[in-house]
Amino acid sequence: MSYDRAMLKIHLFHVTGTHCPSCKILIEDILQEQNLIDQVTVDLKNETIAVVTKNEQDTNELMQSLGALIKPNGYSLSLEKLAVENKNNDIIWQALPIGLAFLVLFFLLQKSGVLNFGIGGTATPTTSFVIGLVASVSSCLAIVGGLILSISAKISQDNISDKKTIVLFHFGRLAGFAILGGLLGLLGEIIGINFTVSAILGLLASLVMILLGLNLVGILSKNKVTLPAGIFKFFRRIEHQTFAPLLVGLGTFFLPCGFTQSMQIAALSSGSFITGSLIMFSFALGTFPVLAMLSFGSASLAHSKFAPLFFKTAGVVVIGLGTFALLGGLTGLGIIRPLFNI
Amino acid sequence: MNKTASIILMVAIVIGGIILLSGNSNRNSVGSDGKNVEIRDGVQYITIDARGGYSPNVSTAKAGIPSKLIVSTNGTYDCSAALVIRSANYQEVLPPTGQTEIDIGTPKAGEPLRGTCGMGMYNFVVNFD
Repeated sequence: MSYDRAMLKIHLFHVTGTHCPSCKILIEDILQEQNLIDQVTVDLKNETIAVVTKNEQDTNELMQSLGALIKPNGYSLSLEKLAVENKNNDIIWQALPIGLAFLVLFFLLQKSGVLNFGIGGTATPTTSFVIGLVASVSSCLAIVGGLILSISAKISQDNISDKKTIVLFHFGRLAGFAILGGLLGLLGEIIGINFTVSAILGLLASLVMILLGLNLVGILSKNKVTLPAGIFKFFRRIEHQTFAPLLVGLGTFFLPCGFTQSMQIAALSSGSFITGSLIMFSFALGTFPVLAMLSFGSASLAHSKFAPLFFKTAGVVVIGLGTFALLGGLTGLGIIRPLFNI
Repeated sequence: MNKTASIILMVAIVIGGIILLSGNSNRNSVGSDGKNVEIRDGVQYITIDARGGYSPNVSTAKAGIPSKLIVSTNGTYDCSAALVIRSANYQEVLPPTGQTEIDIGTPKAGEPLRGTCGMGMYNFVVNFD
């Protein structure tokens, strides 16, 4: 009796491109929607997909049709296990020069003095908006932008519903700036802007960036084990709760950034809730285009076929910015002598 | 892209970056030649411009005279407005436009005054001799 191996109800494929824990859910969701599929199980550890079909199917045809469905998300199917190890190593050699080039361009922009034009007069919502635009490409991008890039890339890597998290983050930032700006105007000195507190927050942010950067590059992730449990739990919380991304967005109000601090002083001296709120909100609105591009850009790149290259490049950039912010923060606190003068 | 090409490219980017970054630094790293230091009525005034960094970056003033630092801002909203001088125990966000006088006591020779901005990317130093 000849047993036709190609006509089966159970099929096993090898899969490449499963870079995140949630890839399992994504692939299973997509394939489960197909009528002829009875059951799909993705094994991330072995990079295999077990498919049970309702009727007998030709394995090769099935591989073609299912492969086409998940290809837009950057996955591909094969019957034999592909040697992906070399490919992954190649990607870091592409990501390093691209990431470095981004970093050099960023520091050249700072150095060029283009951003140093003076903005005269008192702070109005319009000037605040312009200052926000400038701030969003200034050295503040190293800390606020770097943090946003690292968190967006990380949640995109771990989660499929990252858009909601990013929207909540931006909402938290805009609303937080409006409310806290208003409170500054209303209460005056009470929410005093403390340099040391803000510098310590900046140090924490830069450590998070470096850690996430190392993780994105793949140095901290052995066999797709992501972050240490505690931090991992924290990020799961950011991903799955409404409150956490709002809070992180609001928290960016306190991160060290000369522009933010100047605007806070302007809000403070306005002496009114409405003016203070308008100044800080307009400033946050000015920073929105660049920050939105960073976060939503990460999310869409993370679901494209360039995902592995994007994660590694983002990791390189984030490590660079994080190190810059860390050294700057230590200098600002007087712990180390200034190493650079951008 | 192979490893060798990548390493060559990276070295080129880093060297190019360093040349461009240091070549452009004349803007505020110029020494003062004492032009920003003035003694009036027995008080030494040292003036530093703050906007997109501090200028002059390195100043030289006399030791042993009661001194005041005048930090001058002109439409300054960037990090240089958030001034920190540890030795004078000074941390303030400067007004966007104006002159801020900071009492730095009577400086001793060989004890330079170092200022940085809140995020630490800009700095200046005043040497006393």
